[in-house]
Amino acid sequence: MTFAPADFTRLNQKQDVELITRPSLSYWQDSWLRLKANRRALVSLYIIAAILFFTLAGPWLWPVNPAAQDLDQISQPPGAERTAIVVPPYQPWDGTALVQEAGSRDTEGQEAERPETGFRLAAPATTQGVRLSWEPLPGATGHRVYRNLFPVGEELAFGVPVAEYFTNDALFFEDRLDVQPGTYYYSLVGLDERGNLLEVFETIAVDVRRVITVEEALEKGLVAQAAALEPGDEVELALHPLGTDYIGRDMLARLMAGARVSLFIGIGAPVLFVLFGVIFGSISGFVGGRVDAFMMRFADFVVALPFLLFMILFKIAFGIGPGESGVMPMLVALVVLMWPATARLVRGQILQIREQGYIGASQLLGARTNYLILRHMIPNTMGVILVTITFSIPNAIFIEAFLSFIGMGVAPPTPSWGSMSNEGIRNMLTTPHELIFPAIMISLTVLAFNLLGDGLRDALDARMRNTE
Amino acid sequence: MTDLVQAVELTRHFDLGRGRIVHAVDGVSLSIAENEIVGLVGESGSGKSTFGKTLLGLLPKTSGQVIYRGETLPQKYRPRDFRRMAHKMQMIFQDPYSSLNPRMTVGEIIAEGLRLHDVVKSSEVKEKVAHWLRLVGLHSDHMSRYPHEFSGGQRQRIGVARALILEPEFVVCDEPISALDVSVQAQVINLLDELKQRLGLTLLFIAHDLSMVRYVSDRMAVMYLGSLVETGPADELYFAPKHPYTEILVASNPEPDPEAERRRASTTITGEIPSPVNVPAGCRFASRCPRVMDICHRDTPQLLPLRDLDRHVACHLFADQQTAAEAGVGRKTG
Amino acid sequence: MTLVNKVANKEVNKTAGTKVDGRPGIGNGDAVLQVEDLAVEFTTYGGIVSAVRGVSFNVKTGRTLAIVGESGCGKSVTVQSIMGLIPMPPGRITSGRARLKGYDILGRKTVNGKDIRGSEIGMIFQDPMTSLNPTMTIGDQIAEPLQIHRGYSYRRAFARAIELLELSRIPEAASRARQYPFEFSGGMLQRAMIAMAIACKPSILIADEPSTALDVTIQAQILDLMQDLQKETGMAIILITHDLGVVARMADDVAVMYAGKIVEQGTVDDVFYRSAHPYTLGLKKAMPNNDPARQHTLQPIEGSPPDLFAPPPGCAYCPRCPYSMHVCVPNDPEPVVVGEGHYSRCWLHHETAPEKPPELFFGRENSRPPESAND
Repeated sequence: MTFAPADFTRLNQKQDVELITRPSLSYWQDSWLRLKANRRALVSLYIIAAILFFTLAGPWLWPVNPAAQDLDQISQPPGAERTAIVVPPYQPWDGTALVQEAGSRDTEGQEAERPETGFRLAAPATTQGVRLSWEPLPGATGHRVYRNLFPVGEELAFGVPVAEYFTNDALFFEDRLDVQPGTYYYSLVGLDERGNLLEVFETIAVDVRRVITVEEALEKGLVAQAAALEPGDEVELALHPLGTDYIGRDMLARLMAGARVSLFIGIGAPVLFVLFGVIFGSISGFVGGRVDAFMMRFADFVVALPFLLFMILFKIAFGIGPGESGVMPMLVALVVLMWPATARLVRGQILQIREQGYIGASQLLGARTNYLILRHMIPNTMGVILVTITFSIPNAIFIEAFLSFIGMGVAPPTPSWGSMSNEGIRNMLTTPHELIFPAIMISLTVLAFNLLGDGLRDALDARMRNTE
Repeated sequence: MTDLVQAVELTRHFDLGRGRIVHAVDGVSLSIAENEIVGLVGESGSGKSTFGKTLLGLLPKTSGQVIYRGETLPQKYRPRDFRRMAHKMQMIFQDPYSSLNPRMTVGEIIAEGLRLHDVVKSSEVKEKVAHWLRLVGLHSDHMSRYPHEFSGGQRQRIGVARALILEPEFVVCDEPISALDVSVQAQVINLLDELKQRLGLTLLFIAHDLSMVRYVSDRMAVMYLGSLVETGPADELYFAPKHPYTEILVASNPEPDPEAERRRASTTITGEIPSPVNVPAGCRFASRCPRVMDICHRDTPQLLPLRDLDRHVACHLFADQQTAAEAGVGRKTG
Repeated sequence: MTLVNKVANKEVNKTAGTKVDGRPGIGNGDAVLQVEDLAVEFTTYGGIVSAVRGVSFNVKTGRTLAIVGESGCGKSVTVQSIMGLIPMPPGRITSGRARLKGYDILGRKTVNGKDIRGSEIGMIFQDPMTSLNPTMTIGDQIAEPLQIHRGYSYRRAFARAIELLELSRIPEAASRARQYPFEFSGGMLQRAMIAMAIACKPSILIADEPSTALDVTIQAQILDLMQDLQKETGMAIILITHDLGVVARMADDVAVMYAGKIVEQGTVDDVFYRSAHPYTLGLKKAMPNNDPARQHTLQPIEGSPPDLFAPPPGCAYCPRCPYSMHVCVPNDPEPVVVGEGHYSRCWLHHETAPEKPPELFFGRENSRPPESAND
């Protein structure tokens, strides 16, 4: 390399040695950038925003009463068939007249196949009723009718007995017991004089169709005018995007209502107990000495209480009167039992900050105690407080869900995700959606808050900050 | 020269419980004259930092007095007392990282004193902060930045601006440069020197770096295990130490001069500074002193002036050169 | 020296662990460790930090090399990468090599079947507490490397540990060996660390700020101890420090680091009395001098060291340098030999540079050094 003498002249303009070129970032701006760089935390933040939107804006977008029962659609999974055929009002049946009551274009095919003898359908099976008739079985002096949701099979599982006759006078039966759309297996078993089962039986499979009368359709608001409907028309029943529960309540509306309860406890309780913990901890840490020792022993005492047991005792002690949901006792119990962890944490932070130079400097400048706490100590514990809240929320949600699940939490009919799971688990095998949806909501919320908490802790942690 | 600040038998103990008491500062008497820089040196654990904090009231006094311009200051400060003294005494802290609140902008940090005292109209606060930023060699547009964006030396200068914006008369500098790199230590030292000239400050300069303290101070005080062992004019004390501990301290101080280091004899001191918990009777340095005598284990030597010298030494070796007259006060006035 | 080594070692066999130049012996003054063009980067949250940017030096038997520099200049990273103590990732050695007695050691754990760490190179740190196991007695911890590297029995290793503690001037070594680290004071711990570091008679002792956390009286004891042990064992010492006083006391050779590069290197007298780089001169002027004959007012180096997230293309010291020229901004100076084994990275040493500030050393005849300077 060769250089001209001009290169070796002095830089006459003194360079600015105190220049800072990096952009200025406040603690929160910097933390936000760090959080944004954390993909998992960001996704969690979006999920939480979606859950909050679902909870708060959902009921306006889906204004279905979560307590309203749709008895036509009980335990319906999402996406279930919901057409109903309009029929005349129900007429009692004496078992003799085989009239074409439900006769329509659609049922004719089925009618043609209907056997004229043996155990048979006397009329097309509808949700209004299943009409069965038969000839006496050989050797039988009476009959018993069974209903089953599943085929009888080799082990002769007939199902539930629905009718019993000890004579051969009546050879018909109308089943109106909670008939739902779907396939039923009816079995006719012969009885001897003493009412013992004979080994003769006949089984038929019956497809039940959903029907609705004009009046019912009007009542449910499915159609505007009665004139618009003719028997044999099809109408769509009310929409339940996530199906219905075991008494026909809309799952989506209940999830939204349940989210309000779960998140109210899940967010409200941590905010309250963290607030209390911050106040308790900062007083304890700042005052120090005997007061500190006494306050911390009290916190230790609260920690030593067996948490679940006391939670349940609190609930019982508070009692739930008629019409009460049990949300408030649960909130109070959570706040009363869960603050010590935060108090300890904040006290530790305050003790640490109290030794920092800027506290001494501020004291020497004449700062009063509340200025020191509000201007110096709380802002410097904010990160820790925020992380604590974020980690407390999934914990509180889980406790609420757990207590409601074991029946010690929110009282029915108030929905919460925990109590919905509790109700759903009864029908877990036949209609799993009643359990799965609230369980998904709980898991998703808990997971999202935990991942967000992880991200926040990393983003706010001063130890990871570049101090230069 | 009149005394601005006077510590009289200042004592600060920390009770560890179960009868264990840390004698961090034990009966230290030191006078600081107006416009003087007094350097206080000692090893870690000697209580020099505690002395500075007790002097300013950041720690309550166990016993003894601090007299400021003839006024005896309260034993334990309340916020009111701090407010009153804020215009008179301030402190510059050791750690440039922990002494600035990371959540406040530099402008807020420097303006804190002004805002707490309403001495300046709020419209003029910004102007004054900008003025001080320039005074400590930074830019006025650094006001909106946060401490973590500055280097150690820059932060320490921000700390200087915060302490001096109320224009105090007396400033305790608690190891203001020991956390800084060599190349920037001089920045802070020169800044303090310049501001001292400009504002007529009186400084207590606490440090463990003997060379720097000698350079900065008019007078020097050497502390060992909570009490002063020697005081005197800085150069005299450094180049002609009297107390065996001072001697060893100076001899151990490495100098940036290979020739001088080659001439230096190997160290004579053994052992380490003992625990300040429940200090035994007698001279505190007796356990390490190379010239220890029997009396050292029995009697605690007093810090007494040396005849014909502006020096005070607490050592039995100099008993014959000392007069008992001016006991207690660490500076010969006159 | 380093320039010469670069040329001389072009022909070397690159296979790790094989002998490089026929004669691996270590007489006094021979280079026991040769580091060439070492560069280390760290991938961090904010980007890539070039912590070390091409560092070359030799360490000779029985001599002490002091690496001096401000915090963040890369002096610790340099030795940590030689010792294989850099966490990778985020760290990355981007170039260079280090040879111990002629064997490549960079990125390796053993050489000739012997562990490098502990056996060939001993190391002590600023904070001994972090490198000691708090649940083991001091004696056991010193005995451990002897059992591992030397195959001693426990009894023999423990006896040797007590000897080593005595060698490190720990009083009542036999009972002290049965104590735990928390029962030791800072100075005593540092002595124990030294005992542990020299247990396997390493050829090099690396001391990373060994006395920074200690008081001056204790510091003097530790430095004396290190010097005495060096005299006895003939090991080389690499001393990392920011304290020029410690350098003056301990060092035979000095390497001054700034922003990841060695800006001046030479014997201790060269660097202190014939400073050839403005940074070295600046450091000296920024420190008080206790020689009454040479009093001066402190002249600080303005500003702060550069941010190694984006190292400047030219001389890193340029923004703070009182002699900065136009050439310094875009061009990084190459090391220029100013005396035997003494070189400086500064454009002022370029032949075209018109101005030769009298405070700086420019070789005997104020000209380029004779060829014979390259031994």
